[in-house]
Amino acid sequence: MADPKKPRAPFAPWDRRELPGSFTVEETARRVGHYKWIEMRLFEVLGGWVATVPELDVKLRLGTHCYHHAWHAELWHKRLPELREMNPDRLTVPPNDEMVAFVDALTEPEAPELTIEKLVGVYRVLIPAKVAAYTYHRNNTSTITDAPTIRSLGFILQDEVDDWRDGEMMLQSLIETEDELQRAIDHQRKLQGLLLAAGGGIAGPGSIGESYVTEEETHA
Amino acid sequence: MRKSFPVEDLARDERFVRVPIMERINDPRTARREEGPGKAKRGPGRLTPDRPDAPDAARALMHGIFVGEIQALEGAGRTCWDFEVGSGNGEGIPEVPFELKLDMARQCWDEARHCEISIKLSDHMGTEIGEFSENTFLYEAACNPDPVLRLTGVNRALEGLAIDVFNTMREFGDVAGDPVLEFCEDWMLADEVTHVKMGSDWLRRLTADDKERQQRALEFQRVVDKLFSLGGFRGEEEDSPVRLARRFRELAGFKEDEMDTLAEVAREAREEMEARVEANRAAVNG
Repeated sequence: MADPKKPRAPFAPWDRRELPGSFTVEETARRVGHYKWIEMRLFEVLGGWVATVPELDVKLRLGTHCYHHAWHAELWHKRLPELREMNPDRLTVPPNDEMVAFVDALTEPEAPELTIEKLVGVYRVLIPAKVAAYTYHRNNTSTITDAPTIRSLGFILQDEVDDWRDGEMMLQSLIETEDELQRAIDHQRKLQGLLLAAGGGIAGPGSIGESYVTEEETHA
Repeated sequence: MRKSFPVEDLARDERFVRVPIMERINDPRTARREEGPGKAKRGPGRLTPDRPDAPDAARALMHGIFVGEIQALEGAGRTCWDFEVGSGNGEGIPEVPFELKLDMARQCWDEARHCEISIKLSDHMGTEIGEFSENTFLYEAACNPDPVLRLTGVNRALEGLAIDVFNTMREFGDVAGDPVLEFCEDWMLADEVTHVKMGSDWLRRLTADDKERQQRALEFQRVVDKLFSLGGFRGEEEDSPVRLARRFRELAGFKEDEMDTLAEVAREAREEMEARVEANRAAVNG
């Protein structure tokens, strides 16, 4: 039996977590506020669309996914006070007006024959953008100081990827003709354009960081 | 997408056939069916396995549960969309607390699961989607523009009816020797108790400082409860097809006097129905 008095390293050899992270408390709170805002818009519209969609399997999936995103909003809502934001509503805002325009266009389809447009907006544009932003956040925040955010991101990303797969499979089963394919492409093009104008991601510019090195960095 | 979605626009595939409930109640053929040789049958009768029409009656009830679950899902979903988040005292679009919306989203998930369970159970019982007609009075109760009245109508009246129906079906599954039916109904019953409790809690919280609004909500619930008693379909008479599930309603926050009132409302609805059937019978017999 090992000697219980023998000192052990506080971090096991396989535990590679590090202190530094890319985000301050304030920046984390700002991002989390945007996340909560978009999760709210998403669960609201999924709930609203249930009554407008005639396809029974889609109707039931939307009802299920509605709760997933409501739960994500709740997780972010509870995280905000832990990030020194005692009034969560103050940061529950879109990153810019262009993001509002994007969400307005996403939530616009209502008619029963527009299921493809409804699903394209959520599962081919918004959820991929959420997966990207959440993954960037998870991979860049401090694995020690910001562990609570990472834990929430892990649960949320699991839902997002599962729902993304569900939505994509529903879309593939709905798109049967060239005309329907064109509708899906046109609507995706329109929404991607609006998302690009909003900075490209759910937290605005920098949602997934900056891939291009600057002139100064090149010559540093 | 519009705020408030009218009942006539509810999206369905071609299998579904919609029949207004008043059309069904006022159908003179109802009077003919009630007439047996020398029988003065008072109501449709309690659902027991020894009834000759028990399999058909149970399948019809299961289909009714299925379409009711779809409408409950749609109603909860619309509450997520139709109202803005706020204190509840704002101008313009009515506001609801953030947590109320979270409850409604949770209810969406539960109702979606209930739809799935009902479809599987319908299949288990030998029924197809669309074999029986759909009436939309459940969703209509979910269209009230005041969120308090909507919650009261849906979560206390509609979901309260669901408690009574699921308890009845659970008991039917037990006495009919159908453990699958009994098992599933028991799980759905647990969810419905939670939903009714949500309605009771929100009614109390949102009207704590507005007794007049609370009274309006309770009056609306009484109207919906009467409608949902379906002319004696739900009640405390020995032959009521669906019995008031007092024990589970108590768990969901109903007080004894509220259940007594509900039983009275159901009795009134039954008497009105019997008078209507009698009038139809007289009209048919000329």
